[in-house]
Amino acid sequence: MSVMIERGSDWVERYLVPPLGILASNVYLQAVRDAFIIFTLPLILAGSLFLIIANPPVQALANLIAPYQSQILVPFQLSFGLMALFLAFGVAYSLAQYRRTEPVQPGVLAMVLFLVASMPVRDLTTLSLGDILPYLGGEGLLVGILVGILTTEVVRRFRGSRFTIRLPKSVPPNVTRAFEALVPAVLLLTFIWVLEWFVSSHTFVGTDGHLHQLTIPILLERIFQPLILVQDSYPAALIEIVLMMLLWSVGIHGMNVVTAIALPFWLATLTNNAVNHGHGIVTEPFFHIFAHLGGSGATWPLVVYMLRSRSAQLRTVGKVALGPAIFNINEPVTFGVPMALNPIMMIPFVFVPVIIVTINYFVFAVGLVHVPVVLQPFTVPIGLSGFVATGGDIRGSLLQFFDLAVSALLYYPFFKAWERVLVAREEAASQPEESAKPAPVGVG
Amino acid sequence: MIRVLIVCSWGMSTSLLVESMLAAAVARKYELAVEALSAGEYAAKVEECDVVLIAPQIRHLRKSIEKLALSVGKPVAMIEPFHYATMNGQAVFEQVLHLLASKQEGKEEV
Repeated sequence: MSVMIERGSDWVERYLVPPLGILASNVYLQAVRDAFIIFTLPLILAGSLFLIIANPPVQALANLIAPYQSQILVPFQLSFGLMALFLAFGVAYSLAQYRRTEPVQPGVLAMVLFLVASMPVRDLTTLSLGDILPYLGGEGLLVGILVGILTTEVVRRFRGSRFTIRLPKSVPPNVTRAFEALVPAVLLLTFIWVLEWFVSSHTFVGTDGHLHQLTIPILLERIFQPLILVQDSYPAALIEIVLMMLLWSVGIHGMNVVTAIALPFWLATLTNNAVNHGHGIVTEPFFHIFAHLGGSGATWPLVVYMLRSRSAQLRTVGKVALGPAIFNINEPVTFGVPMALNPIMMIPFVFVPVIIVTINYFVFAVGLVHVPVVLQPFTVPIGLSGFVATGGDIRGSLLQFFDLAVSALLYYPFFKAWERVLVAREEAASQPEESAKPAPVGVG
Repeated sequence: MIRVLIVCSWGMSTSLLVESMLAAAVARKYELAVEALSAGEYAAKVEECDVVLIAPQIRHLRKSIEKLALSVGKPVAMIEPFHYATMNGQAVFEQVLHLLASKQEGKEEV
């Protein structure tokens, strides 16, 4: 048994880790992910509070608030609603950190460029804010990411190159820096402005039947609209959860990697649910709140099993894992059981979340539970988080508890099998006289 | 004062380990400062530390993190997954001391 386990983990280490590692260590994906966590998420969460207040789950309260709904939504529209603008700053800033160059200047420049890319080139004083607002938020994320990457990559190439304005050494460094930034800033501004001018010299017929000027975000949205629709489907959800869990199975932060790719789609779908009462399913809460119960892989039940385990190792891990599990953090489980690189536990670690995602997708699709509309930190405990995510549908909490029961049932036989292996090892280790057996070797 | 950077993902689980490391350092009467940060923040701050540790969930970034640390002469190592899992701050703090000691030895040999 032990030999087979080691062979299995050797195979995983040799053939599964390298390709997944390459995907996960892409510097652009890392910068997008950092930008989201550090710069965008806090504003999204703060803004969501106002969305909840403006749409209370109780009808009597909703009637009371109805006359003031637009006013209550203002803080939401200018935080959550501007997330692409802040994402442009964040992506440029984070990428500059990875490139080891000063980050604030490219960050601010990226915001300006993002605004230029989002507005049609015309008399801006007659522009209606309502026409532009959607493209500064959920529908402009892709533009924000692309502008952020472009800005930093261009600015850093100009820094220290001979195409910047040089000043004598006696000039203070802050002044020098301002002039250094001038050339790439003017170049990029001109480039985006000309591009936007060209794009906005075209028109399209809007949903209101009137002619509108095209902009870069509207153009990209029209190109990528099919992709957003495809992403909000069961096969896409399946691919995403399998990729997340395969990465975690080799000990790499899977949610992180997949988030960096799928986030613009998740947020676009979620924004449509929140603002236009859409019925999109595959969103960030669909995974963090409804699938990763107690942490990636829905490992909450394992913690309970471990607390009463016959294996000393599992009991130790269980005690440490209990507190974090309440807040959906499960690194103690992943690296302590361990789940990662463990051929026995990897099997349910992938397929339990797959089954939960399948159940949830169809529950949301047939309308048994309200679709996710609110984003919250993944650390909100189960029960409460399901209620909040669905905009106050208690069936959201019930679904979470149902999924927990499914997880408990499916993990049990694998847990018992792994426990037997560990107990045998621990017994062998405590009887050094019978040292015919090899010393116990940990997996991973 | 020993300054340690732990490169990790969201910094959520690592914060638990940091607490435990600080307690271990106090018990052994060392002054310790530990910061958990992402790979990008680490690239910006690597000069301002004595030891770099890598959390197990980002071991795919190990090579690039090590390369950068060594280029500025900072000792660097992975945290044992099981120590990370059990939030064993004592063992990880021992690892920090060991890294510093072997760096000193290296200097004397040169």
